[in-house]
Amino acid sequence: MLRTLALILAGGDSPALSVLTAERTEAAVPFGGKYRIIDFTLSNCVNSGLYNVGVLTQYRPRSLHAHLGVGRPWDLDRAQGGLRILHPSPTPDGGGWQRGTADAVRYNLDLIEDQPYDAVLILAGDHIYKMDYRPLLQLHEEREADVTLAVRSVSPHDTHRFGIVTVGGDGRVDRFDEKPRRAVSNLASMGIYVFRRDFLIELLRSDDGYDFGRHLLPKTVSRARAYAYNFQGYWADVGTVQAYYEANLALLAETPALDLYDPEWVIHTTSADRPGVELSATARVENSLLSDGCRVYGTVSSSVLSPGVYVSPGATVRGSIIMGDAWIGPDAVVDHCIIDEYARVGAGAVVGEGEATTPNQAAPDRLNTGLTLIGARARIPEGVTIGRNVAIMPRTPENAFPKGKIVATGSTL
Amino acid sequence: MRVVAMIMAGGEGTRLSVLSEKRAKPSVPFAGKFRIIDFTLSNCVNSGIFDVAVLTQYRPHSLNDHIGIGKPWDLDRARGGVRLLQPYQGRNDESWYRGTSDAIYQNLNFIKERRADLVLILSGDHIYKMDYNTIIATHRRFNADLTVGVMEVPLEQTDRFGIMTTDEQDRIIEFTEKPKNRDKGNLASMGIYVFNAEALIRRLSEGSENKPRIDFGKNVIPAMVAEDRVYAHRFTGYWVDVGTIQSYWETSMALLDPNLDFDLYDPNWVIRTRSEERPPAKIGPQARVTSAIICNGCTVRGTVERSVLSPGVYISPGAIVRESVVMNDTWVGPGAVLDRVIVDKQVVVGAGAHLGVGDDLTVPNKLQPDKLNTGITVVGKSAHIPPGISIGRNVVINADRDAEDFAGREVPSGETI
Repeated sequence: MLRTLALILAGGDSPALSVLTAERTEAAVPFGGKYRIIDFTLSNCVNSGLYNVGVLTQYRPRSLHAHLGVGRPWDLDRAQGGLRILHPSPTPDGGGWQRGTADAVRYNLDLIEDQPYDAVLILAGDHIYKMDYRPLLQLHEEREADVTLAVRSVSPHDTHRFGIVTVGGDGRVDRFDEKPRRAVSNLASMGIYVFRRDFLIELLRSDDGYDFGRHLLPKTVSRARAYAYNFQGYWADVGTVQAYYEANLALLAETPALDLYDPEWVIHTTSADRPGVELSATARVENSLLSDGCRVYGTVSSSVLSPGVYVSPGATVRGSIIMGDAWIGPDAVVDHCIIDEYARVGAGAVVGEGEATTPNQAAPDRLNTGLTLIGARARIPEGVTIGRNVAIMPRTPENAFPKGKIVATGSTL
Repeated sequence: MRVVAMIMAGGEGTRLSVLSEKRAKPSVPFAGKFRIIDFTLSNCVNSGIFDVAVLTQYRPHSLNDHIGIGKPWDLDRARGGVRLLQPYQGRNDESWYRGTSDAIYQNLNFIKERRADLVLILSGDHIYKMDYNTIIATHRRFNADLTVGVMEVPLEQTDRFGIMTTDEQDRIIEFTEKPKNRDKGNLASMGIYVFNAEALIRRLSEGSENKPRIDFGKNVIPAMVAEDRVYAHRFTGYWVDVGTIQSYWETSMALLDPNLDFDLYDPNWVIRTRSEERPPAKIGPQARVTSAIICNGCTVRGTVERSVLSPGVYISPGAIVRESVVMNDTWVGPGAVLDRVIVDKQVVVGAGAHLGVGDDLTVPNKLQPDKLNTGITVVGKSAHIPPGISIGRNVVINADRDAEDFAGREVPSGETI
């Protein structure tokens, strides 16, 4: 197999995820209870036998650093190769920030040049999917390609959100349009590229475009040996609140499209040591995922709970995602919410109440499907009622809530 | 002051029946995702003791796998860390460990090499949380040669323990192993000893044919009580020896009691274990789960009441699991019923099978009447229970049993397959 360096791009600020990415990069957002989004890409790497992995960070990386550590859960704590976290460093004139995917890789060209790699696999740290990269690398090698793009079919209604490629009969890509208004194909680039190493070095030296999709690939595919690799499996970009919510709740299906129980393709993550889930005599739980360390004394239905969540007696959690160590007080009601880590919902508070048609006033394009978001370590006072499409920023203290104990639908705190 | 902990993990644990048939007792799963030895190992590192030896002998494979290089306990260290000490051959002698102190005696070199000042001898098969700095403080305060961890037990149970009789200063003046007459007080030894290393080495090295030094309780401690400064350290927290099927089951059920004085969820005293990477537990739309511990990787689509499920257990729709302990990756088929059953790992319970049938819990197991007589049925690892079969109380199904090992549709109470 080709000697391959995998580079995972995990530096974006993902503003569409609202309060979830206010204090962390998207790659470090919890998913499916105990995982972080980047676990899927990292596990794909090691499950595909790739043990040279660089993670490129920039936006709010601390949570991601804490999660990755030395790469132990992925067996990436190695003497040879292993995990490297690559962070921007400032230049004397105050520059040095990376302005896009290609720019980020360009900043790390020395790493690529100094090692005897044949290929560089560029990956996104914010996609949920299980993929064996070996067939992709094999196709790249067999076709002696300069660049090979992983592509998948998308609905014609979604083509405007992706880089759309047109493929000839021999699998060769002859056109790449970034987010076209009118697409001639529905094969979307997944943001997964294999480059022949020397080709990548030369490309990034000769062209100063910032972004692979926007600047480099449209120009490159016609003049280079560019191939497409068609991927059929589950793949989700959870870059919006609604997509994130749906991908989580889809795991509750009897046979979810994303199988987390496959012993042949384990998704590895950093697990804290926690005992099993405790369900008390008063607990009522149905159709939910509960992670180790959760303690349930109330009612939980159609929800996903991360490790260490505490649901007090009399509390009700419905259709919600509750992240690590959040505390739901006695008799509180949480309905269609995403509650971030260590948040506290006071006794008797009602979160997610009333009509869902008024979007969030500050971000009507992002929060408009009725979901209410509570940021990490926010403290919701006892007895407060919070509407829908509400965003409570991380670390909001109790005294920031209105005296009248009502936070109307569509507001932001 | 250098402290070395030596954990005794070699015992056979016969009273745990099929649960410890293929593994040493300390590696029997407990409380869902833990093994029994996790509690002692976690106590060590939570007490700041990172120099730990585990003495193994009986069926150590599962224990070796579990401990590995000690990573979950941060015992994978350049200096110190965990060492597994098995019986070994020497040039002029070779011997299995004949008892607790003989096992230590055969590894005195380890203690000498570590230049330990104090040696903490622990048992790998007890469930408790204890900061060993407290017993070490007692040891130093009394300037003792040996300090024994003790706890008060009901007077009527004293014939099950080694009983310490102390003076007003808590100096031990008499040690009686399992006294028949209940006149020696009620301070029971917990099998936790702090020795001055020098005193330990001296006392173990003086053994001979007529002065054997094989067992701490039988030989070493009685001798030291007479000649050395031996003190008691009183422990008042939760402590259980889960050495019998009955106590294993009772302790598992007690974990479900919210008022139990034993918090597994205490962030200041985390019990660490080797966790397999498993997704969160999935509770299906028709599931009913109350008073239970359910671990990662479980799927529950039936009913679970007052039970403990280890990682990866699958409970099919219509199945009922009541007052049972079900270990890793066992599959319980549709409509199956488990009532007061301990099921080992990777068991398949066929659809509609009933385990724990009958109102009479008192028919003892015919082959092990002293071990199984309280109505608990035990199923060994990887056994396959045929669909639709009815199995009574106090039944033992040995490991790896298959459908053809069962004659007929019914296994009466007290039988062994």
